[in-house]
This record gives sequence, structure tokens and C-alpha cells, in this order.
Amino acid sequence: MFVEYFYKLKDVGIPVSPTSFITLHKALHSGLINSLEDFYTASRSVLVKSERYFDLFDQVFAHYFKGAEMPDVKGLELDELARTMLEAWLQNPEALADLMGVDESALNKLTPEELIEYFKERLKEQTEEHHGGSKWIGTGGYSPVGHSGYHPGGMRVGGSSGSKSAVKVAMDRRYKDYSLSGPLTHAMVGEALKRLRHLIPHGPKDQVDIDETIYQTMKNGGEIEIVFDRALRDRLKVILAIDNGGWSMDPYVSVVQTLFDYAGAQFKDLKTFFFHNTIYSNLWEDPARYKKPQRVEEFARFDPQTRLIIIGDASMAPYELFASDGSIHIEERSGLPSIECLQFLAKTFPKSVWLNPVPASTWHYTRTIGEIRSIFPMFELTIDGLEEAITYLRAK
Amino acid sequence: MKNDSGKRFTGATRYVLDDELAKIVNISMVLEMPLLLKGEPGTGKTMLAHAIAENLKMPLIVLNVKSSMKLVDALYQYDTLTRLNDSRFGDSKRDVSDIEEYIKMGKIGQAFTAEARTVLLIDEIDKADTDFQDDMLDVLDQMEFDIIEVDKTVKTNYRPVIIITSNAKKDLSDPFLGRCNFHHIAFPDPEMMRKIIGVHFPRIDTELLETAISAFYKMRQVDAIEKKPATRELINWIRALQADPDFNPKRLADGDLPYLGVLFKKSHDYARALSTLNGRRMSN
Repeated sequence: MFVEYFYKLKDVGIPVSPTSFITLHKALHSGLINSLEDFYTASRSVLVKSERYFDLFDQVFAHYFKGAEMPDVKGLELDELARTMLEAWLQNPEALADLMGVDESALNKLTPEELIEYFKERLKEQTEEHHGGSKWIGTGGYSPVGHSGYHPGGMRVGGSSGSKSAVKVAMDRRYKDYSLSGPLTHAMVGEALKRLRHLIPHGPKDQVDIDETIYQTMKNGGEIEIVFDRALRDRLKVILAIDNGGWSMDPYVSVVQTLFDYAGAQFKDLKTFFFHNTIYSNLWEDPARYKKPQRVEEFARFDPQTRLIIIGDASMAPYELFASDGSIHIEERSGLPSIECLQFLAKTFPKSVWLNPVPASTWHYTRTIGEIRSIFPMFELTIDGLEEAITYLRAK
Repeated sequence: MKNDSGKRFTGATRYVLDDELAKIVNISMVLEMPLLLKGEPGTGKTMLAHAIAENLKMPLIVLNVKSSMKLVDALYQYDTLTRLNDSRFGDSKRDVSDIEEYIKMGKIGQAFTAEARTVLLIDEIDKADTDFQDDMLDVLDQMEFDIIEVDKTVKTNYRPVIIITSNAKKDLSDPFLGRCNFHHIAFPDPEMMRKIIGVHFPRIDTELLETAISAFYKMRQVDAIEKKPATRELINWIRALQADPDFNPKRLADGDLPYLGVLFKKSHDYARALSTLNGRRMSN
């Protein structure tokens, strides 16, 4: 029973396990499930183990028990996305054309309605190319087109569901705000970063090691022998380099800010530097990139075990990356192309990652992203991407 | 389960239960699986366990998880110090050669060995390391644990109703989740909140109730707040408002909120809320 339903859930990416499916059948035999509402509640609580998937679950449930709802929902989201793309287009046509890898002048000839249709087509292609198309839409919160359909501040409220039918409840999509696509919050970043902490004994031997004390005392025939040990401290060194220049990073400022705030609170030994678009001979300690330059060569002095985290959209004109005087700031022109500076950093710090707020599915549109990816492992700046990045950084 | 199978959870005197949650609790009880509850602070995760215990007249055992806690602390303790003391001075009635006399049950142990079915609340499991969760898997799976000092296995007499709460936004480990049922409690909507307040203040003045709730939800929407006021804060706030003899509910509607410190407990949040309020009043 409901095998198809189970696989549907699995197909859309909800991690459901066979064991839980069997448990659901036990529940069905318990006599407690007498209606579709009961089944909705029971199957969600048994099969779905995270509120992030509640929204997806609601969509599948509505689809499976009501019919063709799912494609509709997708169409709706496409509409919404296309509209925001249009807004972005109106604000900065060049940027969007660039990101989409199309010629600006070609699009200029279209009317707004035609533009929307065009964007929708493009989005559909996108969804088809990458299975689990909702994911692409999902990262929309930080997509280059600044999908503003989500409301980062307020959670939608579920409330009592007794009077509605389960399908209706499911169609309400009460859990939309919890789904994977939601914006990164402080707490989520914190949870991810916390695992980077690395506790090792450090400092004076001022803590009593009780187990060892007991052992030594027993060995001593009962004469007390107190053994001291060092306290555990977090000694992980982290360097955070943030692209804070130019309009291209503007849509992501709040996400980066969140990450930055949390990192400051989390790591004792954290150094933050700033750059614009890419790294040339200097990184700056001050956000204005003016007062305190730090030469890239000098980074060789830092502990090579330091974790280097670079945050930037990695999107720029190719010459900025390859030309030996590629910097758009004259005073930065030092003769070394940026790409070599990046390679130097990657070599100095074997444990480094590049976090990119641009959705991964659009990375292949931008040439410089591809180039930088070949130097630094690149992860999306979303909760999932952050988790992957942290896992990578933690590896020995 | 044996003679409890007829029992169904229907709510308690101080707890407003939505139907959905009641169903989930009942299903978890029938399946004998722990129920993992997540949700914002103040959505009544902990209260639920209290309510179940009250409603089903079962004793409640609370395990407050702490960051340094190891699972064995929650299972049992071998009181070596008392034993050492007894062996030196020999003035107790305990038999020093019998280690079992010095084994004390921890909270999980107590729930397992209890003479009746109990409600076991494992509160804020995310505080402990992931080791704690991993170690707990077997215990929850088999519903038994070993006391290595005396080489004895403790089995449950009556499977406790286990409620686990977690505040973390991050998921717990997959194998752990696999052994639990899951529910996420959403923050109550105003309608639900009215009921909750009604339960706590049966004789509350309607005007006060309405203005306080609408002010409360407005204040929750102030952006850049680190700790949003939750149900607990609202209840305390209403209590404070009621205790003030000079207070008039009309002031709330005008955007004049006294005792803001009850709602906002971080100085940054407080300042932020205050400035928003002042700004709002000026623009009116």
C-alpha cells in the first residue's frame, strides 16, 4: 500500500527510509488512522524527520491525493521568479544579461511581456536540465535576480488544522518558510560553523584529570596521586576573506553579514579581510579597502593549518582574473595576475574553500567561476552548501 | 502498553492542544516510538510532556540535557565515593562487597525501572554532543542498557512514553531520527494564542486580551530582533500589565507599551523595539 506515494516522496528528495515506511504500516494497523487527515499527520510525523521537508511533503501529498497540483505549483513559482527577473532586468539589464550569458541588446528589443515569457522559458530549461528543479528555484533567495518572494523575517504560522481537509492543509503549504530554500538565518549559520570548532588541550596544566588520578592512586596502593592536565580550548585559526565591493555582491550583503557576525562570535582566532571581485597583491583589513592593506605574500607566515574561507560571487570580466594588470583599481596593479595570487593562497592554505552566494546551477554561465572553481573547492552559500564546506574543512 | 492501550491523550488543564499534535502523540504512543519535537522556543515543547503526564496520570521524569553530559550519566551512576567511605568506616547498613548497592539510577534508568508506565522527557537534546545521541540509539532501540560494573542488563518494565525536544535548526543525526517520530510545532497564530492566554487567565478582560495580543504580534515583527518574544514572555507581560493598577488597555492600542523589558530581554533587542515604537508613534 502507498508504495508509489513513498517513492514519490523519495523522488522529490525527502530522505525517507524503508524502516519508517514499515513503521507507517504498523501505524495503519493500529486502528488510529481513520481518515485522510489522520494519514496526513501520521505519515508526516513518521516519514519526514525535518521541518525543512514539510513544505515538499505538503506538495507531494496534495499532488498524490488530489491529482495534478504539483506542476501547477511549479508554474506559479516560475511566474513569480520570472517577474522578479524582470524587475532585476529593469534595474540593471547589463548585469542580468551577463549572468544569463546572453546579449543585452537582443533582449532590449523585447516588450516586458515577451521578456517574462523569455525568462520563463529559460527557467524551464533550467528546471529540466537539473533534476529536482525546485532546488534551483529554491536557492532563489540569493539568486542573481534577487528573488524576493520569500519573507525572511516572519515565519508563516501553521495553527490549528482540525477543521480543514488534509489535502487543503497540505495545499496551504504552511511550512514553506522552513523548506530548504529559506534564507540562511543566524542560527543556521551558527549550527553549521559550530562544528568547525576544534578543541585541543592548551594552556597550563590546571585541571584535575579525574580518571587518571584514580588510576594512579590505585597504582600507588591508595596514596592519593593527583594528575593535572590542560584544559580544552578551541585553537582553530580561520581567515575569512570577503568580497565586499561593487554591485555584484550587493544582493548577498545580508547573507554574508550573517555569516560574518556569527563567525566573529564563534572563533577566537579569526582574521577578516576584504577584497573587490578577486584578490590581487593585497587584502584589506578594513572594509573600505583603503587603510590597512596586507600583502598576499605575507600570508605565507600564517599557520598553514589555518582554514581560509573566501566569500565572493567570483563573477567578473575574465581579464580581471587573467591579465597581469587586471585590477580595476590602479593602485593595485602589481604585475601578477590575480589568478596566480589565488593559486598562491590555495597552496599556502591546503584547507580552503570558496563560498559563492550565486546559485550553483548558474555557475556554468560565468567563465570566471569555472576558473576559480579549479583552484578552490567552491560551495554554494546556502545551508546545504555551508554544511558541505564545513565537512570539507573538517577533514584531516 | 498492556493495560494502557485504552488511554488516549486529549489535552490538559493548562495546555492548549491542537488536533494534529494530539494525533501524533497518540500514534507515537501506539508505535512505542519516541517523539521528537522541534520548534521555536516558547511553542510549548516542554509543556507537552507535562501535559501528557497530567492527562494520562503517569509520573513524569525529566532529563535536562547539559552540554557536558554523557549518556551513562543519564542511565546510572556508580557511587564509588560512598562505597569507599563505607569500606573505610563501615558504619552504614550497606553491604560493601555488593556493588549493586552503590548503583544509582539516572533519569533514563528510573524511567526504565519504574513500577508503572512513565513519561520520559529528554529536554533539549541538541545541547549535548552528537556522541550523546549516537550512544542513545541502542538504548532507545532495545529499550535496555547494561550496567557494566555488575554485568547486569536493565530492561524496561513498561516502555515509557518518550518525548525529546530540540531547539536546533540543524538536524540531528539520521540514524537517530530514524528511531523517532517527528513533529515541528509552529508558532501559535493569534487565534491559538487567544486560547492559550484564556487557559492561563480565565478571567482576563477582553479588551486587554485583544490589545495585548495584537501588540505582541506587532512587536514580533520588528526586524533584526535576536530573541523574539514567545508565549512565555506574553504571559508574563500580561501578568505585569494586570498587576499595574494604573494600566489602561487603551494605551496599548496607541502604541504605548509599558514593561517592554518583559518582552525583550536582550539590551540590543530592547533598544531596537523601543526605537521602532517611538518611530511609529511619531509617524502617527
